Amino acid sequence: MPRRFFELALICFYVTPIAIQAQEFKIFDRSVQIHGFASQGFVHTDHNNWLTMYSSNVGSGEFTDFGANASMQVTDKLRIGAQVYDRNLGHLGDWYPSLDWAFADYRVKPWFGLRAGKVKTVLGLYNNTQDLDFLHTFALLPQSVYPTDVRDATIGHTGGDVYGTVSLRRRLGTVSYTVYAGHRWDSIHSGYPYLLSQFGTQFKAFGGLQYGADLRWNTPLPGLLIGASRLNQDTAGNGSSVNPANPGGGRILFSEWSKADWTNQFYGQYTRGKLRVDSEYRRYVRDQAIFGGSSVNLTDVRGWYIAGSYRVIKRVEVGTYYSRYAITSIVGGALATLGVPQQTDTSLPENHIYDKVVTARVDLNKYWNAKVEGHFMDGFGNGTYPDGFYPQVNAQGFKPNTNALVVRTSVNF
Amino acid sequence: MKLRTLLPLVATVVMFGLVRAHAGDVKVIANSSVRPDSITAAELRSLFLGEKRSLNDGSHIEPVLAKRGTAHEAFLKRYLGKSDDALQTYYRTLVFTGTGLMPKVLSSDVEIVTYVAQTKGAIGYVDVSTPAEGVKVLTILQNGSKGERRLLTRVEPEYPETLLKLRIGGTVRLEVTVSAKGAVESVTVLGGNPILGEAAAKAAKQWVYSPWPTQTHIEVAIPFEPHP
Repeated sequence: MPRRFFELALICFYVTPIAIQAQEFKIFDRSVQIHGFASQGFVHTDHNNWLTMYSSNVGSGEFTDFGANASMQVTDKLRIGAQVYDRNLGHLGDWYPSLDWAFADYRVKPWFGLRAGKVKTVLGLYNNTQDLDFLHTFALLPQSVYPTDVRDATIGHTGGDVYGTVSLRRRLGTVSYTVYAGHRWDSIHSGYPYLLSQFGTQFKAFGGLQYGADLRWNTPLPGLLIGASRLNQDTAGNGSSVNPANPGGGRILFSEWSKADWTNQFYGQYTRGKLRVDSEYRRYVRDQAIFGGSSVNLTDVRGWYIAGSYRVIKRVEVGTYYSRYAITSIVGGALATLGVPQQTDTSLPENHIYDKVVTARVDLNKYWNAKVEGHFMDGFGNGTYPDGFYPQVNAQGFKPNTNALVVRTSVNF
Repeated sequence: MKLRTLLPLVATVVMFGLVRAHAGDVKVIANSSVRPDSITAAELRSLFLGEKRSLNDGSHIEPVLAKRGTAHEAFLKRYLGKSDDALQTYYRTLVFTGTGLMPKVLSSDVEIVTYVAQTKGAIGYVDVSTPAEGVKVLTILQNGSKGERRLLTRVEPEYPETLLKLRIGGTVRLEVTVSAKGAVESVTVLGGNPILGEAAAKAAKQWVYSPWPTQTHIEVAIPFEPHP
C-alpha cells in the first residue's frame, strides 16, 4: 500500500503540469479563461471533535472543497465571469454547490470601478480568498478572524461594489478603497444553522442586507500595508423550532432578526523578501431578537492573530501564528427566565480559544502543494455563536484543550 | 608579469565585469501599434498588475510575462516590486476572486519578441542583449519625472566669432545620447548650420543629466541669436 501511494504521488507530480493547465478559448474574438481548484484535508484531534468532524480517534477526511470559474475580458474596461464552489466540512456544506461569484466588472479609471452581481466581500486581508487554500501558507487561516465554519456570514453579497486605487502625492503610497452593498444569503448547511440545530431549531432561510467599506494603504515603506474594514448587517432568519418553554409540546415557528450587527476589522501586513508578517483584529457585535422577539441575545466576539511565514527554499515555506478568540453573550427575555446561562468570563475555556500553530508548506510543483500543520488550542468556545466546537459531535462534553494535526493538499490551474 | 601577458587578463576581468554589470538588465519592448515611445514606470506597473488594460491615450495593451530568467527577475524587482512567487499569488488572487485574468506567459526571449511583434498592443520585456527585430523599445520614465529627464548641468555653446560678425544664426537640432548615470556619451547633429552644430555639440558633450534606469536619447534644439 505505501509503495502504491508513492507511485501514485510520483505520477501526480509529473502529470499535473501537463494535465492541469488553465484552458483558454475564443468567443467572438474574445479570450475566455477557465480555471479551477480543489483541496483535500485530513484532521486528527487528540480530544474534542473539531469543525463538526469526528476528528478524534482515527481522524476525519471530511474536509474537501473545489471550484471552477470562467472569465472574459469583453472590452479593455469590461470583464465578466462566474465561479461555482462546493465543499464538505464534517456536517457542513454537505456537497451542496453554490454560485461563489458572478459579476460584471467595469473599470472606468484606475481610481474608479464598478462591480455588479454576486461579489466576494472585501473584509480584512483574506476574507475574499479564505476558500483558496493554494494561496495561503496555512492549512487553516486563524479561526479567531476567519472561522471556516461560518464563512457564509461574510464571504459574499449580491449587489454592487464601487472600488479603486488612488496614488497619493509626495510619494505617500497608494490607497485602495471598496464600498459595497448587497444581500447576503446563508446556506442552511453552514455553521450557525447547525449550531442552533442542537436546540431543535431548523432554518428555512437566513440572510439579509450587508453593506460596508474597506480602506487599505500601501504605505511609502516598501512592503507595508495597513487597513481597516467595516461591515454592517441587517439579517433575519426563519424556520421552526422546539419550544424551549415546552419541549414536548411540538414545534413552533421560529424567527430571529438583528437589531444591530456590525464588524470592525483592522489589519497590517509587512512583506520583505522571503518573510511575511500579518496581524489582524476583528470585533463582531450582534444584538438580535430571537423566538419572535420573546428573547434577546447580545453577542460580542473579539479575535486577533499575529502570523509569520518564511520561504526557506523555492518550494518550501514555514509559518506560525498565535490566534486569540473570546466571546461574551448576554441573554435576556424568556430564555434568561428559563436559565440559559450568561457568558461573561472570557478566562473560562468555554468562552475562549487560544490557538498556537506551526505549519510547513511544500510546493510539489507550480500547481500542487501540500501542508502539514499543528494546532495547540486552549479553550473550546461553545457559546451562542459558532466557534468550531459543537455539542452535537461532542456528546461526552468538552475537554479544555485540543491539539490538532491538519494535513491538506490542493491543486489549482 | 609582462604587460603582454597581463593585458588579456585585465581585458577578461573588465569584460566579465561589464557582462556581470549587464546580466539581468532588461528592456521593455512593444508592438508597433503602441503609439508612445515612452511610458512612466507607474503606468507600466499598472498594466502588468492588471489595474488597467490601455494607455492614457487609449491604446489597447496586452502585457506578456516571461516564465523565468534573469531578465524576468530584473523586471519584477525594478518595476513591480514583487518576487515571482508573490506575483503568481497576486495573479491567482485576481483570477479566483473574479477581479482579473492571468496574463500571457512565454518561455523565452525569442518567443516574447516574436509574440510582441505579431500581437497588437503587446508589451513584454527581454534581456537587453536580445535582438528586438520587429518591435519597438520603450523608454521607461521614472515617477515624478513629469515625462522628462532633468538636465543638471548645462554648458552654453561658444558662438563662432566669424558667424557672429556675419550675423548668421539659426536653430541647431541635436540628438544627445545619455548614459544611465547621466553623462553624455555622444551627440549627433540632426539639423541646422553645420558650424553652429559643431559648436553646439561641443557644449552638449559637457552636459550632465539626472540618473535614469537606462540609457536615453534626447532631442534638443539650441537657438543661436546673433543680436547683441
